[in-house]
Amino acid sequence: MSAHGHDHDHARTVKPMVDEITEFEVLEIALRELCIEKGLFTAAQHRHFTEFAEHIGTTPAARLVAKSWLDPKFKALALSDPIAACKEVGVDWLEPTGFGTPSDFVAFKILEDTPTVHHVIVCALCSCYPRPILGNSPEWYRTPNYRRRIVRWPRQVLSEFGLELPEGVEVRVEDSNQKHRFMVMPVRPEGTEGWTEDQLVEILTRDSLIGVALPKAGVTTNVITKARPANNPIAAAGAPS
Amino acid sequence: GADVVRNKHHIEAKGIGDPQVFAGKADPAKFKVGDPVVVRDLPAMFYTRTPEYVRGATGVIAECAYESPAPEDETWNIEDAKPEWFYIVRFKQTELWGESYTGPANDTLQTEIPERWLAPA
Repeated sequence: MSAHGHDHDHARTVKPMVDEITEFEVLEIALRELCIEKGLFTAAQHRHFTEFAEHIGTTPAARLVAKSWLDPKFKALALSDPIAACKEVGVDWLEPTGFGTPSDFVAFKILEDTPTVHHVIVCALCSCYPRPILGNSPEWYRTPNYRRRIVRWPRQVLSEFGLELPEGVEVRVEDSNQKHRFMVMPVRPEGTEGWTEDQLVEILTRDSLIGVALPKAGVTTNVITKARPANNPIAAAGAPS
Repeated sequence: GADVVRNKHHIEAKGIGDPQVFAGKADPAKFKVGDPVVVRDLPAMFYTRTPEYVRGATGVIAECAYESPAPEDETWNIEDAKPEWFYIVRFKQTELWGESYTGPANDTLQTEIPERWLAPA
């Protein structure tokens, strides 16, 4: 007889299989199979898009900024024709369909920070993000909390990320509510004199390209947030964080 | 899948991109960089992308962005919707949030707005 007063062995109870598959997964399979059956898209196209989503990441964006820091001519291109500059770091915004991704469009703009202007990006309406060059958006970027507060209390939100900016620096929030996607080009920090492109790429974190952090010599990771584990995580690199 | 009814967007924009596919299709831009503009308070039943927090606020044109159908038309797949100019508009934070903005007076916010939502300030 167990402690809670009935007579069976919990350790031997077989969990029904259905508990292991969430409603979301059931519906995802139903929707995908119906779309393929009706010819809306093919299984090959689904795989093509999944592979695209799995190969994108922060590195091309970091390299684009590092190149700009080292080469004034490339920086001028990055600011005047960012789509062309992206090709130099291996990102073609017309991929993977020939006309861009349907949700990221082909209108990219790089926001140049100066000693007196600091940019930070948000999509208050949803989660628009320059995915082809910066990868998948962080979970916090998609939360109603960030989207509601950063437009109105940017300095308070930035301070929660550990970024305190003096009053003399204009904080400029960029709300990506239409077809433009934005990325921040931070000011090159002190202590990086003589660094190679690869060294500079390492400190250009995702957070510094969103604008919630400044690049700093010796800091090569994003702000540590409490990661919520997925039920069935994607094992590959490039999974949304 | 050949008999599935689709719009022509993916064919027209191939090799060109969206919004590049709409270039040259709008009327001449009404505003230029530096112009002061006020955001109109249009009816927004069912769909809009002009945030409530900029309605009635005055800002300046920071950039003439591109030509595109407005999202209020595009979201319903209105095929003959006429493209219009979009602008990145810069607002003083104190203009948007008034006294309740706690940061310095030079803080700003930029957002992109189609021409129909803007009037000369």
